[in-house]
Amino acid sequence: MVLVVLRRIGVFATTVVVASIVTFLMLSILPGNAARIALGVQASEADVAAQATRMGLDRPGIVRYVDWFGHVLIGDFGTSTVSRQPIGPEITDALGITVTLVLTSVVLALLFAIPFGILTAVRQRKPDGAILSGISQIGVAVPGFLAGMLLVTVFAVTLRWLPAGGWVDPGEDFGGFLEHLILPAIALGSVQGAVLSRYVRSSVLEVMREDFIRTARAKGLGAGRALFWHGLRNAAVPVMTVLGLQIATLLVGAVVIERVFSIPGLGSLLLDKVALRDLPAVQGIVLVLVVFVLALNFLVDLAFTVIDPRLRSAR
Amino acid sequence: MTMRTPTPTLSVQDLRVASPFADLLHGISFDIAAGERVGLIGESGSGKSLTATSVMGLLPETLTATGTIRLNGVDTDLLTAPERRLNQLRGNTMAMVFQEPMTALNPLMRVGAQVAEIMTVHHTENGRRQARERAVELLALVKLPNPAEAALAFPHQLSGGQRQRVMLAMAMANDPQLLLCDEPTTALDVTVQAEVLKLIGNLVTDRGTALLLITHDIAVVAEVCQRVFVMYQGEIVEDGPVGRVLTAPQHPYTQKLIAASDLSSVDDRGRLHTMSMPVVGRPLVTKSSPRQIQADATTALILPPHRAAHQRLEPGGPPMIFNEATGAPAISVRDLSRQYRRRGGGLFSPAPIVHGLRDVSFDVAEGQRFGIVGESGSGKSTLMRILCALDQPSAGTVDVLGQPIAGASERQLREFRSQVQIVFQDPMGSLDPRMKVRDIVAEPLRNVNRAEALARVEAQLAAVGLDADVMHRHPHQFSGGQRQRISIARALITRPRVLVADEAVSALDVSVRAQVLNLLADLVDEYQLTLVFVSHDLGVIRHLCDTVAVISDGRIVECGPTADVYDTPLHPYTRQLVSATPSMQELARRVAP
Repeated sequence: MVLVVLRRIGVFATTVVVASIVTFLMLSILPGNAARIALGVQASEADVAAQATRMGLDRPGIVRYVDWFGHVLIGDFGTSTVSRQPIGPEITDALGITVTLVLTSVVLALLFAIPFGILTAVRQRKPDGAILSGISQIGVAVPGFLAGMLLVTVFAVTLRWLPAGGWVDPGEDFGGFLEHLILPAIALGSVQGAVLSRYVRSSVLEVMREDFIRTARAKGLGAGRALFWHGLRNAAVPVMTVLGLQIATLLVGAVVIERVFSIPGLGSLLLDKVALRDLPAVQGIVLVLVVFVLALNFLVDLAFTVIDPRLRSAR
Repeated sequence: MTMRTPTPTLSVQDLRVASPFADLLHGISFDIAAGERVGLIGESGSGKSLTATSVMGLLPETLTATGTIRLNGVDTDLLTAPERRLNQLRGNTMAMVFQEPMTALNPLMRVGAQVAEIMTVHHTENGRRQARERAVELLALVKLPNPAEAALAFPHQLSGGQRQRVMLAMAMANDPQLLLCDEPTTALDVTVQAEVLKLIGNLVTDRGTALLLITHDIAVVAEVCQRVFVMYQGEIVEDGPVGRVLTAPQHPYTQKLIAASDLSSVDDRGRLHTMSMPVVGRPLVTKSSPRQIQADATTALILPPHRAAHQRLEPGGPPMIFNEATGAPAISVRDLSRQYRRRGGGLFSPAPIVHGLRDVSFDVAEGQRFGIVGESGSGKSTLMRILCALDQPSAGTVDVLGQPIAGASERQLREFRSQVQIVFQDPMGSLDPRMKVRDIVAEPLRNVNRAEALARVEAQLAAVGLDADVMHRHPHQFSGGQRQRISIARALITRPRVLVADEAVSALDVSVRAQVLNLLADLVDEYQLTLVFVSHDLGVIRHLCDTVAVISDGRIVECGPTADVYDTPLHPYTRQLVSATPSMQELARRVAP
C-alpha cells in the first residue's frame, strides 16, 4: 500500500516536470519576440534588445527554463510584462476564487446527484422513476450559462434576493461572500449534478444486478440495506472517475459562468492575459492548471486504492 | 395407534412460477424432512434454480409465483409472507450458497466481516466483537487455513475453493434448519470440488440441517445426497433414493440423462448414448468407422498405430520426453518453457516471474487422439495457445507438421494456420455476434470464389448435422450445442490435419455434450485428424482420447495410453485426480441400496 502510494507520487512529480517543459517550449516557440510584445510596435530595435537582456531572453533556452521553473517551485512566477507587477499573487487570488466556486458547485452537484441517482435506479421500473430520470435528462441538456442567466433574472433582477454578480473575499465579509457564491455555484453545479446523477443511476443499476447483492439479500438484509451496505461503495468507483474528469474540466470551464457573474476567476484571468499577450503570466497560469489537474488525477487514483482493495496489490 | 409423522422442514405445494411470456415451473410439490439431504438435478433451463430462489423469496420482480411454501415452525406461507418476515428467515432459518464464488462475495469487504454480518443482522451474537470472534471460529470450522488471518483477507486474495468455504461458513453461521446450495462446486476444480462436497456433507450431517443441493452433475448428488429429484422442463419427473434412481431409473428422461452422463458406456457402434433432443437439420449420417479406443474390456481393442509408453515424472528427476514417437510426429515439443512477468513487485526490485510451463517435452503421432488434462492454473491453456502459435514460448522448440513454429513470423505461419484449427470452449464468445453463420464458417477460406465457398460451407454444415438454412442466421439464434457445431464446421472447412479443442464441451449440458463428443469422434475418424483435446474433465478425455498427458504446475507429470493411466495411475497427482472423478459404475456401486 505504502509502496503503491510512493510510486504514484513519483509518477506525479515526473509528470509535473515534463508538463512544465512542454508549457515552456510551447510558449517560447510561439511567433513574435516577447521583448517586442512587451514594449509595443513603436519601440526601437535598441530598446527591444535592452528589454530582451532585461528579461533574460538572450540566454540559452535551457538556462531560461531552469531559472523559470526554479523560481516557480518557490512560488515566484516572475513579473508581468504588461502591469510590471509580480504574477504570483494574481494567480493565487484567481485560483482561490475558482477553486472555491468549483468545489462548492461540485458539493452541491453531489448532494443532488447521489440521492437522485439512487432513487431513479431503485424506482427504475416504476412510473415516478421514469419521470425523475427524464428530468435529469433535461438537466443534462441545459447549458450552464443559460441556467446562470435564468437564476440572475429570477433571484437577482426580479426578486432582488441575491446580488447579480461580483465577488467578495470571505475574509472581508463572510455573509457577502456567501451571497455572491450561491447563484454561480448553483448554475455551475446544476449541469454537473444532472450528468453525475445519470452516472450514479447506471452505476447503482449495475451493482444491483451483482451476485454479492443477492448474497446480501440471502443473508437477511432487506433490499435497501443490501444496497446501502454492499452496493454503494462498489457503485462509487465508476462515479468517481467521472467526478475527477468533471472537476478538471471545470477549472477552466467555469470561465463561462465566471463571465456571466463577473467573477475574477482563473479562467477569466487566463483569457485576459492571452488577450494582452502577457506571456510570463500565461505560462504561469497554464502550468498551475496542469499541476492542478494532475494533482486531481493523483487524488482520484489514491481514492480508488483506498476504496478497492484489489488495486492495492495489483498495480 | 397413530404415528405422528413429523412436520417436514420444507414443504412445497404446487409451486408455479411464470414470466409474462411463459410458464417456467408447472406446479411442483415436494417435502424435505429434517436433516434430510436431497439433490435436485436437471439441465440448464429445467427450473432448478427457480425452485431454490422461490423458496428464498428472491425471485426477480418480473416473475410471479403461486402455490405454497412452508418452513417448519413458521406459520406463514413464504410466498405471501411480507418482506420484513422473509428478511428474518433468510440467513437465519434458511440459508443459501450460490454457484459463483468469484462474484458472490462483496469484493470490497473483508471476508471475516462478511461472515460476521450475518450474525449481527439477525442479532444472534451480542455485538460486533463477538460476531467477529465467532466468524473466525466458523472459518476454522470450514477448514480454512489460518482462520484468524483469513478473516482479514479480501475475497480476491482467496482461491475459488476457499471463497466457497467462506460462503459455507456464512450460510451455517446461524445454524439454519435448511441449507440451499445452487451448483456450489461447478466452478471449482475436481479435487477441490471433492473436498468442498465432503465439507458440505459433514456440516449438514453434524448439525441435522436439511439440505437441498442443486446440480447438473449426477456424481455430486451421489457424493452427498440421500434422495434425489430429477427436474425436466419445469417439472419434477422422478423422486427417489439416490441409489435406486442411479441404478434403476424409472422415468424415460432420467434413464436418458443417466445414460448420457456415462462417458464410459457406449453402444455397439462405440458411440455415447445421446438424448433425443431436437437438433436443427437432418440427422447426422452415421459412419461405421471403427472407434479407436477401447471403452470397456468387452470391446475389441483396436489400437492406433502408435502406442504411447506409460511414464511418470519422477520427483526431482530430470525432465523427460513423453509419448516419444518414431518417424515424423504431427507435433513435437522439446524443452518448452513459458514464463510470465507478473505486474507489480517492488519499486526497484524486478517483477516476479511466474512459470507457466517448465521443460515440457512430448510428441503427438499423426492420427493420435491426444488428451491434455489438468486443473485451472496447471498450464494446459498456455500449452494449447503455444501449440496453435497464439503465444510464443520463452524457451524450447515446437514443431507442428514438420514446421518449427516457435519464433516464426505470421507470414511463415500462413500454411500452418490452415493446417491447424481450433475449437474453443465458449460457444457464445468465440463466434462474432454480428456475422452470419455463412460468413463465420467461410472466413478461414482463402483464394476461394464465392460460389465455391458457399458450396463448401453448406457441405461442412451438413457434416456437422446442421441444415443449409442456418447459413443466414446469427449466432445468438442457436443453442450452445448448435453453436459448438458451427465452431467445429468453421474449424474443419480448411481441411486441417490437426484439430485442437480447448474445453470444447465444458459449457454444454450433459445430453448435448454426448452429441458433440460423438460428432467430434466421427469427424476425427472421417478426416483422419490428429486431435489434441485440452480439458479439466477426465471423463471426456477418457472417452475421446487414446493417449492422455496429465499436467500439473507447468509440467507433464504422467503420460500414457488413456486406459492405463486411469486404471493404474503412477503419479500421486493423477491418483488424486482419478479418485476425485468416479465413473458412473463406481458411483452406482457406492450408493447401491
